[in-house]
Amino acid sequence: MRFNLIKSGAFIALSLLSMAVTAQQKTSVVKGLVQNNNNMPLQGVSVVIRNTTNNFTSGTSSDSSGVFTFSRIPSGGPYSFTFSMVGYESQTLTGYQIKDDVTLSLIVNLKALPGSLDQVVVVGYGSQRKKAVTGSVVSVGFDQFKDRSFANVAQSIEGTVAGVNIITTQGAPGFGPTIRVRGINSITAGTNPLFVVDGMAMENFDLNIINPQDIQSIEILKDAASAAIYGSRGANGVILITTKLGKPGKPQMNLTYEHGLQKVVRRVKLMDAQEWIRYYIDARNNAWVASGPGRSASDPNSVRGNNKNYLIPEEFITDPGKFGKGTDWQDVMFRTAQSKNMQVSISGGTDKAQYLFSAGYLDQDAVLIDNFYKRLSLRTNIRQKILDNLTAGLNISFTGVHNRTDGVEGKSDVISLGLQNDPIFPVYNENGNLGFLDPNSEWNRFASFGVQLWHPYSLIKYADKLNKFYNTIAGGYVEYKPIHDITFRSSINAVLTQRNYNWFWRTNAGYGYSSLLPAEGRYQTYSNLNWLTENSLSYDKQFGDHSIGALVAYTAQKQRGDTSQQRSTNYPNDLVQTLNAAGTPILSTTTAGEWSVLSWLSRISYSYKDRYFINGTIRRDGSSRFGETTRWGYFPSLSAGWLISDEAFMQNVSFINNLKLRVSYGVTGNNQIPNYGPISLLEGSKYVYSDNVANGIRVATIPNPHLKWEKTNQFNVGVDLALFNNRLNVTAEVYNSITRDLLLNVPIPILTGFATQLTNIGKIRNRGLELSLSSKNLVQPEFRWTTDFNISFNKNKVLQLGPNNAPVIVEEWGSRFVTAVGEPISNYEGYIFDGVYNNQNDIDKGPKYPAGMVITPGDPRVRDVDGNGIIDANDRTTLGNAQPDFMAGLTNTFTYKNLELSFMLHGVFGNEIVNQQTRYNKFWNDSRNAYAAINNYWRSEQEPGDGRTFKPNAEYKGMQTQFSSYWVEDGSFVRIRNIRLSYTIPQHLASKTPFRNLRVYVNAENVHVFSNYLGFDPENSMYSTGTDAATANTTFPPGLMVGADYGSYPIPLTVTFGVKLDL
Amino acid sequence: MRIYIIFAIMVLAGCKKSFLNLTPISNSNANNFFRTRADFDLAVNNAYSTLHTMYNPQGMISYCGELLSDNATIYTVAGTGSVNANDKYAFRDYSITATNNQVNQFWNEAWTSLYHVNIVIDKIQDADLDAGYKTGVIAEMRFLRALYYYAMVQLWGDLPLITKPIPAGEAFAIGRSPQAEVYQLIVDDLKEAAANLPAPDRVAAPGRASKGAAKTLLGKVYLAMGDKIAAAQVLMEVYNDYGGKQYDLLPHYGSLWGPENSKKNTKESIFEIQYKGGANNPFSSYWPAFAPFENFSITRFGGGINQVTDDLYNEYEPGDVRRDTSFELGYYKGATWIATKFQKKWKDLDAPIVSGVEACNNNFIVLRYADLLLLLTEATGDAQYMNRVRARVGLPLYGTPGYPSVKYPTLELALEHERRVELAMEFHRWFDLKRTNRALTVLAAKGKPINQDRLLLPIPQIATDQNKNLGQNNGY
Repeated sequence: MRFNLIKSGAFIALSLLSMAVTAQQKTSVVKGLVQNNNNMPLQGVSVVIRNTTNNFTSGTSSDSSGVFTFSRIPSGGPYSFTFSMVGYESQTLTGYQIKDDVTLSLIVNLKALPGSLDQVVVVGYGSQRKKAVTGSVVSVGFDQFKDRSFANVAQSIEGTVAGVNIITTQGAPGFGPTIRVRGINSITAGTNPLFVVDGMAMENFDLNIINPQDIQSIEILKDAASAAIYGSRGANGVILITTKLGKPGKPQMNLTYEHGLQKVVRRVKLMDAQEWIRYYIDARNNAWVASGPGRSASDPNSVRGNNKNYLIPEEFITDPGKFGKGTDWQDVMFRTAQSKNMQVSISGGTDKAQYLFSAGYLDQDAVLIDNFYKRLSLRTNIRQKILDNLTAGLNISFTGVHNRTDGVEGKSDVISLGLQNDPIFPVYNENGNLGFLDPNSEWNRFASFGVQLWHPYSLIKYADKLNKFYNTIAGGYVEYKPIHDITFRSSINAVLTQRNYNWFWRTNAGYGYSSLLPAEGRYQTYSNLNWLTENSLSYDKQFGDHSIGALVAYTAQKQRGDTSQQRSTNYPNDLVQTLNAAGTPILSTTTAGEWSVLSWLSRISYSYKDRYFINGTIRRDGSSRFGETTRWGYFPSLSAGWLISDEAFMQNVSFINNLKLRVSYGVTGNNQIPNYGPISLLEGSKYVYSDNVANGIRVATIPNPHLKWEKTNQFNVGVDLALFNNRLNVTAEVYNSITRDLLLNVPIPILTGFATQLTNIGKIRNRGLELSLSSKNLVQPEFRWTTDFNISFNKNKVLQLGPNNAPVIVEEWGSRFVTAVGEPISNYEGYIFDGVYNNQNDIDKGPKYPAGMVITPGDPRVRDVDGNGIIDANDRTTLGNAQPDFMAGLTNTFTYKNLELSFMLHGVFGNEIVNQQTRYNKFWNDSRNAYAAINNYWRSEQEPGDGRTFKPNAEYKGMQTQFSSYWVEDGSFVRIRNIRLSYTIPQHLASKTPFRNLRVYVNAENVHVFSNYLGFDPENSMYSTGTDAATANTTFPPGLMVGADYGSYPIPLTVTFGVKLDL
Repeated sequence: MRIYIIFAIMVLAGCKKSFLNLTPISNSNANNFFRTRADFDLAVNNAYSTLHTMYNPQGMISYCGELLSDNATIYTVAGTGSVNANDKYAFRDYSITATNNQVNQFWNEAWTSLYHVNIVIDKIQDADLDAGYKTGVIAEMRFLRALYYYAMVQLWGDLPLITKPIPAGEAFAIGRSPQAEVYQLIVDDLKEAAANLPAPDRVAAPGRASKGAAKTLLGKVYLAMGDKIAAAQVLMEVYNDYGGKQYDLLPHYGSLWGPENSKKNTKESIFEIQYKGGANNPFSSYWPAFAPFENFSITRFGGGINQVTDDLYNEYEPGDVRRDTSFELGYYKGATWIATKFQKKWKDLDAPIVSGVEACNNNFIVLRYADLLLLLTEATGDAQYMNRVRARVGLPLYGTPGYPSVKYPTLELALEHERRVELAMEFHRWFDLKRTNRALTVLAAKGKPINQDRLLLPIPQIATDQNKNLGQNNGY
């Protein structure tokens, strides 16, 4: 039937494939069905047919209905059939004769292996049977994220893995989430895990570079014993990505098309023009009245002097109605955005050679106007057996991204500013310009009153930006088996990254910005080459009940990054934007940085009776980032497993199918600090003599020649349990980890000339409990229901800090983060906000405030924590922390015939957020707009509002702006993260199409958030500051300021429709 | 087998020790610096560049010299860096607390600047260089150290005495030395500087510290210490050695101000901070910083710092040309006149705009001959020096019938008035009032909520949190 259609010429691609099938004289068809012991069809079973006399072989695999077909098998025989699939016992059927034009039909039942323990899990520098794993390794297969529509695979597994906290800090397309494995292990060094893509180890890697469609599996090494094989870079966990390779058999072609819609559903509620005008009038009247005796709110501007803070536009009082509701700037900024994602992959091979070719193109508009993300990804993976004992392979991938992403830089970027704009202004003024700074606009009358507008168009439509990013990852390897049981493997990998960024700000930006700036052009580049060579010898041998594995390897890795930056101004007009058109260069600079690592590593594993397992690893690393005498470190680990369920005494306990106990201990390191930490760097300065600029040189960093690794020792105990015919699988783990010699950018007294010094000092402890449950609730042939649940708890405590155990204090924009001994990293510290003073009597009864601080009714009341009757700095206390008490994820999947429905809930509990936007939107700040909730502010003793919102005052003198619990909000949330419905066209219908398999689905991400948070989303509450100087693009969120939301990019609701075709 | 050979080669190649010995590519590093004379020349230039921090229009000497006094106010300002607008208003309003970020920034800037001076003194001791060169460099550095410590001691009172780079461990525990010891360090530094610095006409380049600068500053420090005799002696040395020769009053007050190079490093200049306008240069920004906030008219933006009070404006005697040389009464925005007083001593209308700010060419004079003459009168009680300053602008001399002696009945009050108008907005006023013990009387009368404690700034909370031994000033 299928071939009839092909003959009709409808599908060219398929015709091309069919050309590969050469005609035989006498052929026949073999059809079959593979199913499990419950007669459920099995998809993806590899089927190899072999004529045992002439060694003719061919291979295929079963489709979603369990059906496989060989269409042109030469007559004769005897033929044998081998069926294999991970998690099932292989089966070989022999002795079949094929007769001319007679279809041979087979039905095969494969037996599931208990608990899928023979499933293979990728671990560092090799793989292990799941049965033999003794550390804490989580494996996520392609099937678990195949229909999720994220460009970044990490977002697809958010909430599904216990102990792995994946946080979408910004909702912009292409913006990678933050990943934390088992809490925060470092205060000022990096906290990102190490990524290893097909063996290539990369720090601060951007997972957007890897097309999720190309990923076979993701393994997360959580405990130190598993990660210790990556030594100095394993302390934050290791994420291994393995890309796909074809299976022996007929070429498989997969096509996917997805169409998505995104929308910001959870908007921030702000005041409209009418509410804001009242707020404005009250703020200025309050300031005027407070500025001296005998002043009244009814005084006209003429007696209020020239202080802007006291002046009110006449029309606000006489005719506020004419402003209507004003402009909702979120309407101006956001849109419903479309995305298209096209994927094609071809894979296949023979026993000797396997391949995968894939291409993907993603074209995604952002919810923020004019922003977009386009990605082309191409991949070739090839593996060829050259000789019986020599195999070589090559993986090459190219990713090209063109994007424009505004709004992710927090407070001074368009999203934060968009929430601060005054609602009275129209989108365009009467001249077609944007703002009140247009001197010829009637709106210019407001310029002398101190109003605010950072028009989104001025930041987006009047600023042209384009980011171009190209990345190539290539890795080649040879594997040579000189004698049986010994494998020598040598590989070389390289990653080349190139980024160009153009920026052009047009003259005056349409008058829509807070000031009138000349045109300016910027051009930035960075290029980065990272190479790694690894050479290893491994030995695997079984002697009776004893099984031994050994590995030794030597690796060398080096990276060099080069950046350039140019800025120019004084453009004659806005027509030519490249820097050659500019009159005056204002910045032109290039920088470069390097790091290198040399390592020796070894692993020995031993098992007895496939029941007792022991693994030992050791790695020795030397890094250029550390002091000459301190740069080498050892990272050992030891782990053991006991498969209790295989013991004789357990054989009668029939409801337990699998019970395994794992214990591990290991040491890992963290090297994520700037490249030249031990060396005191110098930088230039300038002075002038006789009108000549004289160069100077200053010491820029305080040196530390003894700088070394941060080391984490972690102890892990895990239990794997399978019950009731493998219907219920449980994994529970507890761990205790201590990080010593913290690479702490210790704040030091400025009397040294420096504010911080990078030092190895201090200790942190992380303790946690993780539980994963997977249950097959219903296993009817027609109707199945599975539930996956995970929950994890992590408690973080600082045990020791720098000199005198002095707390590490970071103060930024009013807020204060304190890391102190005995407490978790980075507590928020400030006053406790206790509502509003309603009258003078309230104030008189309360504590005294610092000299010069005048408190009047309507002002905030803060708690006298130490009870000494005076409000001072000692009354600041802990207000919360960004680290959750626990996180949980729950996925339910229902399958009815060909229909599958799944939904996922994800919750984070017990964390707090510093809403930094409080500075702008939660109290009066220079005429900015405010949250609608602030409307309930104190107006008078008779109109006290909600008692929780103090009066606005254009010249606040009291506690209004002091960091207090007023800024801190509950960060707990429950999110309906995903709802997915997919339908596989039944085989009898699919067979009428050229496709073997046809599936359609609809996928909704971020469906709803249950949270009271005033900002866009409680999840995007990480404040990322600083960049890795070597790559200039990667953000390095320090452990110190987590939990502060400074106007992050909202996470949109995304609905995607997809169709997948296999042929 | 060939593969084994390749393996062995790779291992051996990688094992080279140099593989891990990477040195910075884009920064020079301190391991091989501070050796040659050229190194020290660069380090000295850097030490001088800290003047740009200390005398920044948004720096501590500007804020305390003017904004804490009755000369200047701010109406509306914006936050800068970690400092928010309220931290700045607190200076105007005398509502500064220990958590004020502006105070913390000043504290940080002062100690960082001091470090860049101290490290030169420390490193040059052991350098194998010509003794004369070393003595000269040390003298210049000690002048800068004294200049900074003198500002700091007036702002914070007791201070840690840091005369060389100190390790972090020490900095966590060091306490404050009494003011008297700080003053002793300043006097020692200035005596040493005065002994070894070249005469004003022998300095390597305009802008470098000279014997005249060290002695003038020493005289002022002696006055602050209440030692008029010592002050008179050292100030008279300057007057006698250089007066009328290397130093003199310019004939016209207006010739002191302007962005032109001809207005820089004149005879009246004793110590002057050097700037050069334009992109990529160390330009000055007094003009845009002191222009009205967000005027978007005369300057691109406008900082709104140190706006001129009516009280200062009215201090000028009728016919005093210095008033209209110093201030603007407002500006035109389109056709609208916006009346607000601001300074124009550092006006530079032709400055190129770099990243939204005027990159001005104006220098800033720290010590000038008119200041010296007024200090001489203060030290000696002899009005003749002050009268030279008045004579330049054609005003009746003190002690003559035309002098407004009803308003300024004593020489002290006459001097206070004269310094205020002659040196207006040049960061002197509050330091002058403090030196003459007049701050409380004068400022309280003008409605500032001031008391004895408020004459010192708090030690920043973040510093006392780190090091309890610093203690806190009274009233904070």
